Amino acid sequence: MITIRALTKRFGDVTAVDDLTVEIRPGQVTGFLGPNGAGKSTTMRMVLGLDRPTAGQSLVNGRDYRTLRHPLHEVGALLDATGVHPARSGVAHLRAMARSNGVPARRVTEVLDLVGLDARAAGKPGRALSLGMGQRLGIAGALLGDPPVLLLDEPVNGLDPDGVRWIRGFTRRLADEGRTVLVSSHLMSEMQQTADRVVVMGRGRLVADAPLAELIAARPAASVRIRGPEPAALAALGDRLAAEGATVTTDGGGMSVAGSTAGRVGDLAHEMGVRLHELAPVAPSLEEAFLELTADSVEYAAGATGGGTR
Amino acid sequence: MAAEWTKLWSVRSTWWTLLAAVLTMAATSAQLAIYARNANTDDDPANNPGVVGVGEIVAGSLELTQYVVLALGLFAITSEFTTGTIRTTLRCTPSRGRVLAAKAVVVGAVTFGLGLLLGTVGAVTARPVLGEWGRAPLGGTVADVVAAAAYLALIGVLALGLAAALRGAVLALTVLFALLMIVPLSLQEPDITVLTRIADAFPGVAGNHFLAGDTEPYPAAAGLLVLAAWTAAALALGRWALARRDA
Repeated sequence: MITIRALTKRFGDVTAVDDLTVEIRPGQVTGFLGPNGAGKSTTMRMVLGLDRPTAGQSLVNGRDYRTLRHPLHEVGALLDATGVHPARSGVAHLRAMARSNGVPARRVTEVLDLVGLDARAAGKPGRALSLGMGQRLGIAGALLGDPPVLLLDEPVNGLDPDGVRWIRGFTRRLADEGRTVLVSSHLMSEMQQTADRVVVMGRGRLVADAPLAELIAARPAASVRIRGPEPAALAALGDRLAAEGATVTTDGGGMSVAGSTAGRVGDLAHEMGVRLHELAPVAPSLEEAFLELTADSVEYAAGATGGGTR
Repeated sequence: MAAEWTKLWSVRSTWWTLLAAVLTMAATSAQLAIYARNANTDDDPANNPGVVGVGEIVAGSLELTQYVVLALGLFAITSEFTTGTIRTTLRCTPSRGRVLAAKAVVVGAVTFGLGLLLGTVGAVTARPVLGEWGRAPLGGTVADVVAAAAYLALIGVLALGLAAALRGAVLALTVLFALLMIVPLSLQEPDITVLTRIADAFPGVAGNHFLAGDTEPYPAAAGLLVLAAWTAAALALGRWALARRDA
């Protein structure tokens, strides 16, 4: 359980996190979404006691992170920079972490197995690790103390499809074991695959906090795409649908019908003898829901992407 | 603390620093010993320093060698700032005081051990070079070596605390250089009593009074205390900065 209350962080004139109040519950994967610069990383860093909040507080299982003596048993975290010294081997990195929190040395071998790093890869110095190996090492570090709470900042960044699939399965399993799992991403599609609940930030503020299904259902209505070889007949079908109360938009050679169902459109087409080449229900993606939610809170306009993560 | 130990020895640069310190010490001691011998054998009897204890050579050599040892204290924390490892460290041990205390113990212990080694290296190098102009009474030499080790340990931890507060290795080294040499030297230069007394309060000068076993302006033990006070102040400053700043 992560409790965030009225959390605010200002860097000079810039308000990175603005009066954020949210609760991250155990037993589910919570997706933490927002465009670059929305304040996700800063929030996570404050939860981990790395950045000092300007105001408000964040608690992990009811306690301030900075007061924890052996925090690796309470919270595991993967930050976008893994924090491995370039000249230190992965094993030595984990061993130092383990020793600082009274974790037995054999646990290092266990977590390396868990994330699928072999002895050769773990023996490499930090600078020689590929992005994928670095992420796995970071997750191994997060799991060292077998913590009930996990924070993963952009875990799929730079991973190959194999790695992405692995992370998805892995976060699922961790949540199913009853842990609190918070996964940040700016990729909405990624969350659609893994999250049970979604917390969306934009410009430092909370934009949405809802179960994934609810968020998708609430925003852009489901629509039906149709396409056919006879424009005139198609237009007539469109008029009928509009008369029934649906919203019809025409686009090059086809139509998009909102406020109706694929069944109704198909029946009507059959009744009117309109030939269709395509009849496809289009489920609103989280991407669209997200874009709509954050439309007015995107900090960086197109062309100025990147940044945001430190 | 054990974690700090692991971290220190799992990076190769630590070993290079130690080697560099030993070589610098041997070279400097040999050089100072040669100076001492030359001064005794040249034509100007006014220069004649007479028989020199190896302890003095060791103390003199530290003037240079200490900077290599300082690097160890500096890098124990500045390397974490530059590589981002500090975030891992603070996540594992959120108490800033405990992190700095653990580092101080490890740096202090290592520099003390290194100091013993360096003192021995210096004495062993200087003795044969000095020849008839040297003396190395066992008890006195051992005491000098232990004093050198204590001096280096305090200076190493002072460097650590300062680096924690200032973050950058270059800035910290500059400030250390000023504290240990430039400012006190400038104060001593005009030979005005008040200024010289102020210089006596600086860590490097205090350390030298301690190493030389001076009785003026204060007893040798007081020199050690002054240096220790500087070290404690640097640690307090470092702790304060770590707690306030975003990592």
